[in-house]
Parts: sequence; structure tokens; C-alpha cells
Amino acid sequence: MVHSSSGPEIGAPPATGAREPGIFRGAAPTFPAGTVKLAATKPITLVLARELALAALLLVGVSFVVFVILYLSPGDPFSVLLEGQISNHAARAGLREALGVPRTWYVQYLSWLGNLLQGNFGTSIRTGLPVFGEIARVALSTLYLTLGSMLVTLLIAVPIALHSSVRGTTALNWLLTMLAYVVSALPVFWLGYVAVYVIIHQFGVFPLTARIAASSERTWPFSLLPIFVLGIGNGTVSEVVRHLREEMSRVMGEDYIRTARAKGASVWRHAFKEGLLIPMTEIIASKIPFILGGAVIVEQVFNWPGMGRMAWQAAQDRDFPVIMGIAMIAATLVRLGSLLQRVVYVAVNPRASNERRGAAWAE
Amino acid sequence: MKRYSQTTGEVGESSDLSPWKTADALDLVYVGYGLLIVVLVLVSYVLGAFTWLPYDPEQIRVDLLNAPPGSAGHLLGTDFLGRDILSRLIVGIQAYFLPGLLAIVISLLLGTTLGALAGYRSGEVETLVTYFNNLVDSFPRLVLILLVIAAFKPGIYYIMVVVGVTGVPAVASLIAGKIEFLGQKNFIEAAHVLGLPSRVILLKHILWHHCMPLLVIQATIGMGEAILIETSLSYLGFGVQEPTPSWGNMVQAGANYFFQGKFWPSTAPALSILFTILGFHLLGDGLNGILEGSAGK
Amino acid sequence: MGAPLLEIENLRTYFHSRSKRAFIRAVDGVTMAIARGKTLSVVGESGSGKSVTALSIMGLLDAGPGVISGKITFRTDGGERNLLHDLEHYVTLGEQDGRIMEVSKDEAGWRKQVERIMAEVRGKEIAMIFQNPKSALNPFVTVGHQITEAIRLHTPTKHPREAKERSLYWLERVKMDSPRLRFDNYPYGLSGGMCQRAMIAMALSSEPALLIADEPTTGLDATIQSTIVGLLAELKSELGIATLLISHDIRVVSRLADDVAVMYGGTVVEYGPAPEILGAGFGLKHPYTAALLASRPSVQNVQENGGLPAIDGEVPDPIEVPRGCRFYARCNRVTDGIRDRCERREPELKEVTPGHQVRCWLYLD
Repeated sequence: MVHSSSGPEIGAPPATGAREPGIFRGAAPTFPAGTVKLAATKPITLVLARELALAALLLVGVSFVVFVILYLSPGDPFSVLLEGQISNHAARAGLREALGVPRTWYVQYLSWLGNLLQGNFGTSIRTGLPVFGEIARVALSTLYLTLGSMLVTLLIAVPIALHSSVRGTTALNWLLTMLAYVVSALPVFWLGYVAVYVIIHQFGVFPLTARIAASSERTWPFSLLPIFVLGIGNGTVSEVVRHLREEMSRVMGEDYIRTARAKGASVWRHAFKEGLLIPMTEIIASKIPFILGGAVIVEQVFNWPGMGRMAWQAAQDRDFPVIMGIAMIAATLVRLGSLLQRVVYVAVNPRASNERRGAAWAE
Repeated sequence: MKRYSQTTGEVGESSDLSPWKTADALDLVYVGYGLLIVVLVLVSYVLGAFTWLPYDPEQIRVDLLNAPPGSAGHLLGTDFLGRDILSRLIVGIQAYFLPGLLAIVISLLLGTTLGALAGYRSGEVETLVTYFNNLVDSFPRLVLILLVIAAFKPGIYYIMVVVGVTGVPAVASLIAGKIEFLGQKNFIEAAHVLGLPSRVILLKHILWHHCMPLLVIQATIGMGEAILIETSLSYLGFGVQEPTPSWGNMVQAGANYFFQGKFWPSTAPALSILFTILGFHLLGDGLNGILEGSAGK
Repeated sequence: MGAPLLEIENLRTYFHSRSKRAFIRAVDGVTMAIARGKTLSVVGESGSGKSVTALSIMGLLDAGPGVISGKITFRTDGGERNLLHDLEHYVTLGEQDGRIMEVSKDEAGWRKQVERIMAEVRGKEIAMIFQNPKSALNPFVTVGHQITEAIRLHTPTKHPREAKERSLYWLERVKMDSPRLRFDNYPYGLSGGMCQRAMIAMALSSEPALLIADEPTTGLDATIQSTIVGLLAELKSELGIATLLISHDIRVVSRLADDVAVMYGGTVVEYGPAPEILGAGFGLKHPYTAALLASRPSVQNVQENGGLPAIDGEVPDPIEVPRGCRFYARCNRVTDGIRDRCERREPELKEVTPGHQVRCWLYLD
């Protein structure tokens, strides 16, 4: 991944001919354009700009898919949606009048998208409140769940993976890996019940309103419960373990690690970047969709007021503006995660700015 | 303490030994367990389809509520309405089995086509396919399904079509990667030079011989995902409705009783989910291990 | 002269093939010594066990069972150490027909032991450089930083700025172009030759007693190879450092070696001073050495032989080790008088001229 077999042989001796006689002093030499440091634009910002553009393009595609799904659904949800984006009742009536002729689909799409970009996600059919505000209200709760559970998953998976790759196959890490597998196959909703049951019987409190419990001094640990349940039960633990272990094992076999060992240097310091940091961000970024999906279920189990439960409610009520808004937000979060992962990769890997992005098989 | 030994006499050629002999014992165990699960699921599916069940899954027995496993001829006991759990579990398979197959078929067909296109003709086609993959991957599956439900209130088969489509990127990137990898080897060029008719036949060569195991493994993963999705949906109340059993809605229905200390009605289906998904995953992993082992050595 | 700096006695390093259920006898009883300030070159084809020997010295082998017997005496000003100290306590061997057929080894325990012994040695008293220098350097870290890391680890210079000055000094010493600039470069931005210079600088910066160079010119362009060899020759005379040079390239060896050990099939088949072994004429050489020298691409060789002579046959299989002489199958100097022995029994090393040993039935009478 890091090395490419072909690649420009940058770093040819300077065109000035004879070797520099001693430690370089004085003014900067004039090296031919091919030599090492790229001029002008910082390569990292270039790469990031490109990544941002890609993410934006994808999100446009997402919005199109969302639009198409709603457009194809029976009834006329779209006008409902569009009208919902106009809050003034009088203006809405005016629009209906003006809309004597049904608008074409791409005009509808563009106007909806335009509104979206301005933050106008329409109004909820059920509550009549602006969707964006509603989502914003609960987004933080889901974010808390998502990030917290990622941490839990890593806390479990990283030690197992590292132990496996460094110590090789021992009975202990086979057991742990097996455990990770079993845990990944457990239905998370049942796990949630177990957790709730334990809480009821250990603490005599029914955390139906875990979120409220979180604000009270005595019962704030309850808010950790859904994080643990999601972190353990989101089904990704075994894959995270496997990916991390594979990558670390691969890195351990690399030539430069052998050099580090021969030099008496700390292998960990050398292996960390490629063996742990990058794979970790890679796998987590790719698992964000799964974690968000799991959040929908966990929020059900714990009656946790987040985007997931809102989405569930919206699906029940066929509240299109809400569910579309949540879909867009969720996709945005996924792309954000992917972007962050690329940022880390570029920051860590000195060649990244020169590499062609190539196929996203690596994603 | 590790022991190594060499057998006296002629040293065998590793290529003589079939992949099954050189395989890790553990991988064989995985595959064995996985196949067992597959067989159980198939058998249960047939039993359920013909309703050859020990008991009527919907029959309420007020006199036999929450009976533990083994009581009065109920192998797995009864739930909170006295209904036989084993029968309900068997019927529950109907909810995901065929729909799951549909999802798998869609993932594999579409995924292979796109992957083959991308791997074989790089350039714009590859970029397009990559874009499509990333696009599909941007959606959390459950959220996308909820969106579709909000729009269409569809049946489980339509939902499985969506699941199938969301499984396409994984298959496509695997196939494309494999083709690119193989493309670097010479035999494809050689075949071209030999005048093998069209690329389609070539693809059959590549796909059948090299990609088949990959696809089988993806199928096992796909089934695991389908089960997860279906049970999650029915848990959320969107799939099969009571009193028809689905493993998901069985867990949900038993929730209250769970908190009262009556664990079994919720736990029995949860364990079924666990062991079944585990079976499919291990089957895929075991097969992967065996095939990699034979390729590596 | 004094006692040798590093003395390897009867080193055996085995690996195990699970699929074939047999041992890979990579190093099968090797004895050699490196004198203070001299260069010993180990020559052989790939698979002859040369690199494994070097890795065995450094304790860098991961695969099992690894080193199973031998003694490596390292004599420095600090004293005398056996780098394979207590190996017998961790390994039990089972023999059959004079051949090792079973190995029991406490690998975890031995690994700890090796770390204990080698922690002070690696990078500090014995430094190692590798082939393919571009991939041997950490691609995520600047070249300069990798050198300063070695300096800060193994020399009293701990302060980053001082360490940097020291690194620049060494970069100059290895004739690196514009050291100040290269210091901040990443390996991908440097050519293979420059990476190798950097690695040499990194290895020598801690002023070790012994430098192990494992195929330092392999993977480099031909012209660059020559300059690196020239650099090593210069450094050798400037610093007087003892070197274990591993190479399959006789031309490199002839420019740098004081002593030569020729390895074949995991054993040393010829051992002695470089001028004798590499000198012209068949003389008292092992048939393999003779064949190696004859196959060197040179006008003389081609003229003499009417073509470039190659050695018939294949590199020996480290798993199916023959009963008799390992070179027998490819040897073109077998006579009827010794054929029987060549086939059945492995010859011992015999001194044919002072300091020069050959393992061949031709000389064992």
C-alpha cells in the first residue's frame, strides 16, 4: 500500500555536477525541478481539496438517490415535501396556485437540493416542526452513542488484534478471537435486554429514560450502557480484529521493521503508523454505516432519543421529510468519517501526496 | 515447547496433498460447523414450508405458559402464550431464508458484473463503478431501508432487493481486485494470443476457476447479513407481524417477560440468531482459510 | 592478530515445512570466523544459507524452530560473549541415521534469552545493512531521523541537535550529496544508491565493532553497485571496521574480502584467504568455487571457454538434503576413484594450504 513499484526517481543528483564538498552551507542551491521538495502548493492541501470535492460529489449522488426513492413512491410525497419547505402558510397557498403546471422532476430535485443546502430540510409531517431543527436536537445524542461505541469496539478489538499478531497463535488469543466472533453474531437488541435486566436487578432502577437518568448525578453511568451495548454488539468487532491483526502482521514482516530490530530500535515506534494507526482509521471509517444502523436498534432498546429512533418513528409514520433528512445527515457523517480517515492517511504517509488515488478498492 | 519432526523416508510433494489434507484442523471444524448450520436451516425451511411441525406455532396453550425446555413434549419449551418455541423457530426461518437468497443472488450477479467491468476495462468504467460503490457504501443499510419503507411500505422481498444492492460494492471490489491481480499474470495474455474467442469466454475461465470460491464465501457473508437485517427489521416491527413468528419479533415480544426474569422466550430466538449467523460466518472463514492455505503452500 | 572478533562454531538453523512435514535445513553446520578489522565474505547462490547465517547471528529469525545448535563467540573490549548462550537448555534434538529428525524447542523462552543477550549488541556493537535499501528504510520517517535515532540509542549523544550534527557528519562520510537536504528527505525521494548510503551511515554512526552487510548491492543499478562497493572499500580502510559481507556477486567480493567462505546447500565448502580462493586457475579449489569463478561474465572467461560456462543443475533443495556431498549432482570433477564416497558420505573440511580449507573428497586422501 505504501510502496509502489514504479514511481518517479526523484532525488537525482543536482545538475550542478560535482558533489558538494562538505556540509551544505549558504544559500539554497538551484536544483532541477525533479528534485525532492515540491514547489509552491503544499501537497497536503491539494489532496484534501480533492477529497472534499469527491465527498461533495458523492453526497450529491446520495441526495439524488434519496430524491428518486421518494419520487417513485406512490402518492405525491414530493409536493408535500416541497410545500413543507415553505413555512409560510400563505406562501404555500400561493405556490399551489402558481404550480398550475406540474413541475419537471429535475426542477423539483434542484429546488429541494437548493433548500437542503440552505439548511431547509422541510417540516415534519407528524409534528409540523422544521426537520433540521428536530434532527439537530437529537443528533448529538446519536453522535455520542456512535463515537462512544467506536471507542468501546476499539478497546476490545485492539488488544486482541495486537496480542494475536505479536504473539502468534496461542490458545488464549484463539479463545479471544472466538469470543469476538460470537459477540459479533449476537443480536444487539437481545444484548440490550440483558444489559437492561442487569441494571434493573442490580440497581433497582428501570432506565427507560436513560437519557434523563444521564443528567441526574446519581444515575449518569446508565448513559454508558447503550454505548457499551452498541460497541460490543454492533457486529463489527470480529472484522475489526481481523483487519487490525492482518495489517499488523503484514507490517511486522516488512523489511523496514527488520532493519529497526537489527538496529535495536523500538519496533513498536516503527510499526505503529502503518500497523495500527492507519488500519484503525481505515476500518472504523468503513464501519461507520454499520454503527449508525446499530444505533437505530439500540436507541429502540433504550428508548434513547436520537436520530435512529427518530428515523424509526418516521418510517412508521411515513414522515418523508424527516427520514430523508436523516438519510442525508447519516450519509454526510459517513463521508465525513471517510474524509477524516484520508486526512490521517495523508498526514502520516509522506508519499500520499504524490500517489495517484487509483481505484478505491483500498477504501 | 514446540515440537517439530520429520518423517523418515520420502518427503512428500506439497502439491500432492489435497487442500483438505493440508488444511488447518481448525478451519475444517469451522467448515463442519457451518455446513451443519446450513443443513439445519435447509431442513427447517422445508419443514416450515410444508408445516411439518411438532406443534401449531400459533396455538396458544394457557395451561402451559413459559414452560421450560423439555416439558410436556415441547423440546424447547413454550413462550409466554404457551406456544411451542421450537415450531415457532422453525417457521421463523421462512422469514429470512428465501428473501436472503434473493439478496445474495442480486449481490453476486450485480457485483460480479460490475466488478468484471471495472477490473477488465480500467479507465472511465472503473471510475464509474468506483463511484457507484462509494455511493452505495455511504448509506447505513438500516437507514436506507427505513427510507424505502417510508416511501413504499414494501414487502420483505423488495427490502431484500435493497439489501442485495447494498451488498454489491463488497463483491464488486473483490472481483475487480482479483481480476486486476490475475491480469498481471501471463496466462490471460497467453489466452488472448491463442485466439480464445471472446472475452466472455475468458471471463468464464477467470470467474469459474478463480472467483468461484470468493463468491461462495461472499454468499455466506451475505446470508449472515440478510439474517441480521431481517431479524432487526422484524424486531423493529417492520417485518413479519405477530402472531406469525420471526426470530426478530420473537425477541421483541418476549422483552417484557425478560425483564420479569422469564428469559427463555426472548433468548431462544436470540441464540438461534447467534448460532446461525456464526455458522455462516465460520463457514466462510473456514473455506477462506482452506483455500488460502492451499494457495499459499 | 589475536583471537577472532566473531567466531561461529557449528551453527545449525532449521525451519520446518508444515505441508511437507520436513525440516528446511537452511544452515547445516557452519563454522567460520571474522578477524578484527578484516572482511569475511560469504559467497554462494541464493538458498545457500548465507543470509540465514547473518540473521542467526543477530537473532532476527522469527520462523520456527530457528537456531538449534552452535556457538557464536563475540570478543570485544568488554569481554567475551556467546551470542547463543545456553541454547542447549532450550533445545532438544533427536537424531536418526546421523541426521536430525526431531527438534523440541522452547521458542518463547529462547526468544526472551536472545533479546536479553542481543539488546546491547544490536545496532551498537554489531550493525547490519540489508539489500533493497529503499524498502529497508522506514518510509514514514525522514532519512535523517532514522540516523539520529540510531545515534541517540547507541551513543552518548542524546540531544537532538547534536545527534543531527553527528548524522550530517556521517552522511558526509558516506559521500551523500547535499547531506542537509537529504536529511529531511523521505526514503521514497532518494535513489537506491542514496538509500544504501544512508543505511550505511545509520549503521556506522554508532561505531560498531562489526558490520554485517547482507547483499548490500543487490537491488541497485549496476553502476551504483560499483560506487557502493567503492564506498565500502574506502570506509573499510578509513575506519578499520570488521565486516561480514554476504554476496552472491564474486566481483563485489573480490574488491572487498580479506577472507572468503563459500557456502553451498547450507554448509561451508571452502574457506580461506581471498587471494587464494579467488585467484586464477583451478589450483586447490572446491569444484563449486571453480565453477563460480569460471561463470563470471568476463571477456577472459568467454574466450577461454568459448562461451559463458554455467553450472549445470539446480540450486539444492534445503529439504531433501542428499546423503553424500551436497554438490555431487552438479559436480563436473568427480573421478571414478571417489564417486562412491561422493555419493554416500559427506566430506569433512580439510586444510589444503595453510589457512585454506576445502570440503571435497578430491583432497581427502
